[in-house]
Amino acid sequence: MNPIVISVFNLVGSSFCVEAKDGEAIFQAISKALQQEQVVEISFQNVEMLTSAFLNTAIGQLYRDFSEEQVRASVKVTEMADADKALLRRVIETAKLYYKDPTWLEESVKQIMGEEE
Amino acid sequence: MTSNCLSDLHSTASGFSQIAWLYDKNKGDFFEKMPVSFYVWFDANMAAPLGAVLDLLEDNLNDIVFDHISPNIKSILQKNDFLKHFGFDGCVDIYNTTIQYQKMKPDDGRYFHQYVAAQFLNRAELPTMSEGLRKKMTEAMLELFVNAQIHSETKHIYTCGQFFPKRHTIEFCIADTGIGFKEKFFRRFEKTISAVDAIRWAVQDRNTTKVGIPGGIGLALLSEFVKLNQGKLQIVSGDGYYQYDSQGEKTEKLTKPFPGTAVNVAFRTDDNSNYALVSETNAADLF
Repeated sequence: MNPIVISVFNLVGSSFCVEAKDGEAIFQAISKALQQEQVVEISFQNVEMLTSAFLNTAIGQLYRDFSEEQVRASVKVTEMADADKALLRRVIETAKLYYKDPTWLEESVKQIMGEEE
Repeated sequence: MTSNCLSDLHSTASGFSQIAWLYDKNKGDFFEKMPVSFYVWFDANMAAPLGAVLDLLEDNLNDIVFDHISPNIKSILQKNDFLKHFGFDGCVDIYNTTIQYQKMKPDDGRYFHQYVAAQFLNRAELPTMSEGLRKKMTEAMLELFVNAQIHSETKHIYTCGQFFPKRHTIEFCIADTGIGFKEKFFRRFEKTISAVDAIRWAVQDRNTTKVGIPGGIGLALLSEFVKLNQGKLQIVSGDGYYQYDSQGEKTEKLTKPFPGTAVNVAFRTDDNSNYALVSETNAADLF
């Protein structure tokens, strides 16, 4: 199956992919393809800057709606700088943990409340 | 009305306290002529939190008048365009050490990207830094803007920076007049904690006030970068002051609250760490 190529630069319309709302457009495009069981290639060609806020929305959210297996099998990333790959890896690890253990955040709140007492 | 004196204003807890004091002292005034004077020294990046506070005071239709500005301070604040907002002319920065003062709306994201690219990323006269280091610094500035955009509910975002060649440091500050860390935590979890603890909580990896979507990486990454770079991170929000540097974490409760949030970062430009190498990751293993 030939992958569907999603150009981040084109969808965002800028080489700075920074804001969460821009990430949402990427997320919607990937989701649509995965719902149709397509393989997706996300191209970061000409993307100069990324933030965790953008990647959380664009890619982190996928782990809420799709299994890790489906994402691993169906989503590829191309033309991404090494430093950005490290950021994306961090986003993905955080997203997996976030959806796997929804009580973790509550525990963290309890902990800081405990420190207050 | 007696003049509001700000003296020897550095990006320290005491510097932020002076700005918070200025706001607290005058916040109940309306339609007043409000004299402000600057003495001794002014770290140019502190123009961001000062601009935020002066704007709030102007919202009460007070007339801000700078009745004394030491010549060295006047020169700095004209070069970075801060004084242009208060009836002065700008002036040319022949040493090219300023990162301009800007006031933006939270939805001016594209404008902020251009500002960062022009003032920092593509600027030849800044000291030679590795591409990885310059990119990490830019990323940090963008993360801070997005944080203010998403969380603060502010009317405006204020930014300013300065390059200190002798200290091999670039400082960059971003300020807002929004709800602050403590109120954000309360609105999300319906629990009251101190402003200091709200900041301490927010800088920990994976802690986020977003609902239904992962987050909490931006400030954690910034702390990690500051550690590697041996720089400094300071967050002031309400009466909470948080600082992280090579000495570790330091917090204190300010006597008067800052009416919003200010985040100041100091980056070392003589950092030879190879940020590209430590980040090498195989694309096939990402998911």
